[in-house]
Amino acid sequence: MKASSVDISPIELEIIYNALTAAAAEMDVTVWRTSRSTIVRELLDYSTAIFDRDGWNVAQAARIPSHLNSMSYFLTEILARHIPPDDWGPDDIVISNDPYCGGQHLPDIVAFKAVFQNGRRIGFVGTLCHHLDVGGSSPGSYGSSAIEIFQEGLRIPPVKLVDGGKPNEAVRDIILQNVRQPEILWGDLQSQLASLQIGAANVGRLAKKVGDERFEHALNQLLDRSEDSMRAVIGRIPDGIYEFEDSIDDDGISDRPLRIHAKVTVAGDELTVDLSGCSQQAMGPSNATLASTCSTVFYALMASSDVPIAANAGCYRPVKIIAPPGLCVNASSPAPVVHRIAIGHRLATVLFGALHQAVPERMPAAYYAVSYVVTLQTIDPQLGRRVLVEIEVGGAGALPYSDGASALSFGMHNNANIPMEMIESDMPVTFLGYGLLTDSGGPGRQRGGLGLWREWRIDCAMAQLSTNLDRFKFRPFGLAGGEPAAPSALYLIRGGTRQALPSKVTNMMLQKGDIIRLETSGGGGFGEARLRARASVERDIQLGFVSAAAAESRYGYGNPS
Amino acid sequence: MMEVPPVRIGVDIGGTFTDLQIFDARSGALSSFKTPTTPDDASIGLMTGIKEAAARDGFALADVGYLLHGTTIATNAVLERKLPKGALVTTAGFEDVLEIGRHYRREVYALNPQVSPTLIPRDCRIGIEERVKADGNIELPLTSPTLARLVEKLDRLHVASVAVCLMNSYVNPQHELQVAEYLAKAMPALKISCSGTLSPEIREYERTSTTVLNAQLIPVIAGYLEKLTARMQAEGFSPRLLLVQSNGGVCSAATAAQEPVRLLLSGPSGGSAACALLSQVLGEENIVGVDMGGTSFDVSVVRNGRVNLITQGEIDRMPVRLPMVEIRTIGAGGGSLAKVQRGGRLTVGPESAGSRPGPACYGRGGTEPTVTDANVTLGRLDGKSFLGGDMQLDGEAARAAIAISIAKPLGLSVELAAEGLLAVTNANLGAAIRLSLFEKGVDPREFAMIAFGGAAGLHAVAVADEIGIKRVVFPESAGTLSAYGILHSDLSHDLVRSRVLDAVPERLPALKPMAEGLISQAHARLDADAIPAHEHHIETAADMRYKGQAFELTVPARALQLDEATLSALIADFHDLHRQRFSYSNPDAAVEIVSLRVSAIGRLPRPKAKPLDVQAKGSPPSKRRVWLGGCWREVAVWSRDQLSPGGTIDGPAVIEEAYTTVLLAEGWTCRREKSGHLVAGRRE
Repeated sequence: MKASSVDISPIELEIIYNALTAAAAEMDVTVWRTSRSTIVRELLDYSTAIFDRDGWNVAQAARIPSHLNSMSYFLTEILARHIPPDDWGPDDIVISNDPYCGGQHLPDIVAFKAVFQNGRRIGFVGTLCHHLDVGGSSPGSYGSSAIEIFQEGLRIPPVKLVDGGKPNEAVRDIILQNVRQPEILWGDLQSQLASLQIGAANVGRLAKKVGDERFEHALNQLLDRSEDSMRAVIGRIPDGIYEFEDSIDDDGISDRPLRIHAKVTVAGDELTVDLSGCSQQAMGPSNATLASTCSTVFYALMASSDVPIAANAGCYRPVKIIAPPGLCVNASSPAPVVHRIAIGHRLATVLFGALHQAVPERMPAAYYAVSYVVTLQTIDPQLGRRVLVEIEVGGAGALPYSDGASALSFGMHNNANIPMEMIESDMPVTFLGYGLLTDSGGPGRQRGGLGLWREWRIDCAMAQLSTNLDRFKFRPFGLAGGEPAAPSALYLIRGGTRQALPSKVTNMMLQKGDIIRLETSGGGGFGEARLRARASVERDIQLGFVSAAAAESRYGYGNPS
Repeated sequence: MMEVPPVRIGVDIGGTFTDLQIFDARSGALSSFKTPTTPDDASIGLMTGIKEAAARDGFALADVGYLLHGTTIATNAVLERKLPKGALVTTAGFEDVLEIGRHYRREVYALNPQVSPTLIPRDCRIGIEERVKADGNIELPLTSPTLARLVEKLDRLHVASVAVCLMNSYVNPQHELQVAEYLAKAMPALKISCSGTLSPEIREYERTSTTVLNAQLIPVIAGYLEKLTARMQAEGFSPRLLLVQSNGGVCSAATAAQEPVRLLLSGPSGGSAACALLSQVLGEENIVGVDMGGTSFDVSVVRNGRVNLITQGEIDRMPVRLPMVEIRTIGAGGGSLAKVQRGGRLTVGPESAGSRPGPACYGRGGTEPTVTDANVTLGRLDGKSFLGGDMQLDGEAARAAIAISIAKPLGLSVELAAEGLLAVTNANLGAAIRLSLFEKGVDPREFAMIAFGGAAGLHAVAVADEIGIKRVVFPESAGTLSAYGILHSDLSHDLVRSRVLDAVPERLPALKPMAEGLISQAHARLDADAIPAHEHHIETAADMRYKGQAFELTVPARALQLDEATLSALIADFHDLHRQRFSYSNPDAAVEIVSLRVSAIGRLPRPKAKPLDVQAKGSPPSKRRVWLGGCWREVAVWSRDQLSPGGTIDGPAVIEEAYTTVLLAEGWTCRREKSGHLVAGRRE
């Protein structure tokens, strides 16, 4: 390749980058508008990205941090070990959901398509959707009692779902035979395929305009450019070793907590995250694969950056991640992994806590750091079977310069809630309320955001509940003297009696009139609570964010100081 | 019936100028007038403008039959939070729905992401004991003691307005109406808005947000209309007053006072209505309207001669669930700031220099380079003839800003840096248009572009080239285009009912009365507007989706009567539309109807303006040095007013007029039509 023929100005590079991002955005719009299931359509649990010819992520439509920076691991693993690059044709689409092939957990099905120009592979496009149900022992494939991945659902190795333009009907039939709502899964998968077509056409058009060779070269430069930015960001963090740890309540099988520990070493423009101090992998599904863990580290680094970085695989280069196999941050097959986000969320807050020691002016206290997954299946003689998967959120951690946001999807996930009227119109469930929880935010000079409560009442004879929750024991920590937020809780109210439930419930039978109440954690506080501005405490009391009693006991309000 | 007086006036009140378009049926003449806006009380500037125009054009105030009024008062009141204190009444347990919202964030990597503002704080939200089920049945009846307690609480809050939004009121609004009735008696001064009346659609947060905005705007808009009518009465001026809505139609002052949220996003309505009108004049069914000013670039779409509407929009991150003109806005305008980021990225916008300090070339203290500075540096914009010569631009300042902030860090010449800045801008503009059209599953090549707003002329042809559009129109008197669109508006009402039902003949007994109810309501509203029955134009549509989908497509019904034939046509059309927009359809899958919609248009007498007949001798162009395609070239500079109709100009060329400049690229030709419009086309 002659240097002159591939000389790309920064301006042209910016235009190409914007065009790639726009292509990913068009893919995103396609999934959003065409998917069938509530989890994709209302929870927005999907992502789209564009890759270079070797499988490295160059541009993405930002929806869920935990997806995006992991898709490269999946694709490069498929190319290296399963379907070599030369076996991909222009009309092939490869899918997989295998966590032990660069994935994260079984409900996430990825679909990739290679983009060709003049007979040469110039890149890939990919989409990832969290599917409503992929079989296994729990409705919604989100149980908390599995001790092997085989119980968690159908495991699809990398396979061509479309081969030379022809749908692989055998593969399709095997998948659809093994899931609870086959039409919905197929509908969502079709919207992934439509999105790939759109993305591939756009990337092809761009490459044609720019010229193939220049296009490939531009992608390399985009990766280099992000690497440079990442190095500059790391370079501005003071050199040193920063350690922090927090714990996950349990894995749903035993009561033993899981330790999440990180040692961050900053040396010049390189950064090492050593996770050797984490617990062994759990018996239950609170385990993360390496891909999952890497995506968490990159999320935390990009979020804590002092300038915006064009997030892509170039950012990965100056970062070293040490995570020995067999730990909960790098689980080995066949460990169950469906609740991998528990590890991801907690690791993200631990990294924030570690970085707080290096750059205290910009890191927040802990957010709720758990995806509150509540799965309900109702069985009604007239309506038949209905599955609902809800992912709720809590409060964000306070920052050195502001209170944390209340009830906001934060950190590793980014979900919308499902309109309650939509659920009530579809299944025999009635909501009794949805609100912010007084006193759930960690007290501090800056207060942590509030968690929330939500109550479901079962209106049919038979229903099943499964949950995958955490933060019942270990509360979201505060920083710089700020206090922790309130713990989370789950209750069953039956016949007027309230009973506390554990954080992980599997296939619990419910009856008509039962009420389930979820209470989520707020965020940790920042700075000492007694230093909070009196006007802010008064406003919190007035709005019911803080009770009068807590104002007195936590903030010293009303006490002569 | 009384004869309608002959003069009709369309008014668009902007931040700086109040624009008028005046049509006199006696002569068929159309004229325009500009007067400064009086921000403290816009009705002062409005009356001044009308009186001056009357004196100039020789009509009496009594000759004016209609005054069609576009205003951003509602928009500004929300953006600046100049809203009197209000309260919200909800079902007990759901008081925080407004604050929690949909709880996702837009800035994925931000540690302090912005959240949607909550207009009514927690201590002004009151839950009441009542519950309606999803099927409309009442589980917990609303009692008098509950209502009495509500009044006690509201009494203590001293609020001007109250929004009422109860669970499932979109199916059964009975409890909301009971609340409203009770409050109206107990607290007659209170302004009340009920969600089930205003926006009876499923999704509690979106409905609440819409109703809250409406309730809070009632005192603002009702107050303005009182002031305006008083001023008009004092002048003996009594035309029919109509207000421009976000859906592109107008409504009576009475409707505007009760449902002011319908005006909230009406700013771009006039411009897009004008595009729809021009689409007829130009014989182009499919139009992309682009409006580029100092800070933003607004894209609207006309398909098959009609402005594209959406069922939900937003203001300042708060959803508004009402039909409105679809506008895609990006932060790219003449004042958009260009920066070289750490790491060498050249970005343009969305931050803007505004008008103070403005671009470096304005000489008001701005030092950072903007899009306008790049255009000046490259000779595309003439520093001496800007705003018709009213404002001198400092070319040296522009050059210096580009040199220091762009050229030096990137190691480029000033010209290449400025050209690069414009290339990045044009690519962003092109991507915005592509995404707008892409969402509809249509091809840009089937569209013509209408470009207006001060900054559009220099970018339109390049952007059109970029996305494959072959025809670009620069309308005559683009400066008052919005008022021109407003002048031609009709009355319109949008009515809707939500009910998630399978689209099967067995459901017709439920669907039919819903449709009939909406249609008779529509006629009643038009009757109340004093529109004669033969000018009622009613259309129905259904929001439909595959069972379980999140997003509905609005499918127009082929007939008003909702019978088996209409339903099966709706279903067939839904599959077709779905395939067009999303590249697949699934004819075997179950389809459901989420909402029925009725749009009621009351046709006002059409202004039949005499076609403009531009007379100009055509004077030869001057020449100026313009940087194009990597080098300086001598380019012909034409004055638009001097172009004689019919003659063709070949690109590259610059065409100047008072408030804008058009850059015609190589490979394009341009002609001035008799109507005065400039039509540019790509040479095949």
